[in-house]
Amino acid sequence: MADTDAQFDSALDLLRRLDPKHTTTHLNSLIDLVPAITEDLLSSVDQPLTISRCRKTGRDYLLCDYNRDGDSYRSPWSGEFETPSGGSGPGGVDEQGNNDGAGEGAVPSERVRKMEIRANEAFDVYRELYYEGGVSSVYFWNLDDGFAGVVLLKKVATPAGKSQGTWDSIHVFEAVDRARTAHYKLTSTVILSLATSSDSLGAMDLSGNMTRQIESDLPVEDDTSHIANIGKLVEDMELKMRNLLQEVYFGKAKDVVGDLRSLGSLSEKNSETESHREMINSMKR
Amino acid sequence: MASAQLTTVSAFVEGAPPGELADVINDIKTLTIESPDILSQLGPAFEKYNEEQFTAVKLPGGSQYVLVSSHNSLGDGRYYDVESSSSFAFDHSTQKASAVQSHVLESSQSDLVKSLLKNLGTHVKEHYPSASFGVFPTDGDSKIAIIIVANKYSPNNFWNGRWRSLYIFDPSASSLTGSIKVDVHYYEDGNVRLLTDKPVSTSVPSASASTIAREIAVAEKKYQEEINKGFTNLSEGAFKGLRRQLPITRQKIEWDKIAGYRLGQDIGGGSSKR
Repeated sequence: MADTDAQFDSALDLLRRLDPKHTTTHLNSLIDLVPAITEDLLSSVDQPLTISRCRKTGRDYLLCDYNRDGDSYRSPWSGEFETPSGGSGPGGVDEQGNNDGAGEGAVPSERVRKMEIRANEAFDVYRELYYEGGVSSVYFWNLDDGFAGVVLLKKVATPAGKSQGTWDSIHVFEAVDRARTAHYKLTSTVILSLATSSDSLGAMDLSGNMTRQIESDLPVEDDTSHIANIGKLVEDMELKMRNLLQEVYFGKAKDVVGDLRSLGSLSEKNSETESHREMINSMKR
Repeated sequence: MASAQLTTVSAFVEGAPPGELADVINDIKTLTIESPDILSQLGPAFEKYNEEQFTAVKLPGGSQYVLVSSHNSLGDGRYYDVESSSSFAFDHSTQKASAVQSHVLESSQSDLVKSLLKNLGTHVKEHYPSASFGVFPTDGDSKIAIIIVANKYSPNNFWNGRWRSLYIFDPSASSLTGSIKVDVHYYEDGNVRLLTDKPVSTSVPSASASTIAREIAVAEKKYQEEINKGFTNLSEGAFKGLRRQLPITRQKIEWDKIAGYRLGQDIGGGSSKR
């Protein structure tokens, strides 16, 4: 009798330690090793997003577990599920007429789909203003006491020279209706991979992911307020996370390298520190 | 099935970040609880990890660190250290040394090895707050392996780092070849990894210990400057090219009005192309 909860925790711990550049490979290895935790892992581990082109509108959209039905994915632009073989369909409604929840072919109710369309338009503007390129997709689904959704953004940068970068944002939220307000819970992950190489540098790879959560109560007049509230929450969160990533990738990581090896001479540095200390002490007197 | 599992789990061991092998082993233990024999078959994976990462270990009762690598392996899980003229047994899964014996270096190059240790010691002391190093004859006593490894672990602050250099001095070609690798792991509410690999290849004008040590010092200084430039280039280049800190208007979005926004207009001078 294996304790699958403990195995799930160990799998997450391992994924937090192994090279984040290859999370998808490690995830598949873990699923092969412990098939019993497959569903839990797939729904809680964020992977880099895949881009597909909507056959009806010709616009790119992003694939994730929340718009998936078996091999098919729902395009946010057409609202239809697209099969790998080229077919499309409404998806969603099971034999009992249920269409709740995310994934497994779920489609939002008419009201939530209307908000979803507006959110896709709004985040398309957001994407252009902040990313100046890339792809965005928003998927909503119904909850018993409100609705939930995921805002996805992806950008691949190939600037001049040999450096390259990929940014994936995955914002999952719940909006629970209360009197004249809504309670929002947002969990955001950014997956950021950067790499550069040259003869003098060799290969340098700086990759990873970070996750942050917030909860907030915000006023709601009508469904338009939801789009504005979610927009503000995601915008603030991304600003915070961009600063955090900058600090960790280019501040912390660089500091650790400097802690491992000192570019300057340590004996000189130590004597400088010593004379600095003496100077401060003499000023105190 | 079992061998596929062993391959998978061995890859986990190989990928353990600096200072986190024990954590990775604990995770593997839980994950393979239904096939407990897997763990006992991981010996070769642990050995590969320790020899490739130049695991530094304190001898029982000693204060100096000694290294584990393929270049100072005596076989049967024993390794030797030149400085302390001793050999020791090494447990690859617990990373502990035991059964220390005296070991006298027998090499046609023992004089060069010993003066390299001395010269290298000065360089290491000047640039590494905490590092271990070793010099060993290798390749059938025809070449000399020079190893430097610096570890800094701060698991309470969720980061660990390792710098490791390996140089092979070939007296017949007067060449120094090898690699410098840096590995930094940061894992507070996330998982961020810096991995670098720089091949080193340089000719050495004379086969003296001081010349070789100086070449190493020059190569490492140059490389560290390149890494610092690499951080700047990634920050100013790829990172900035991915997402702006604020829109070109330098103002956050007015979400109440976003329904009226049209791409490329009505957004205060913002343009869809840059």
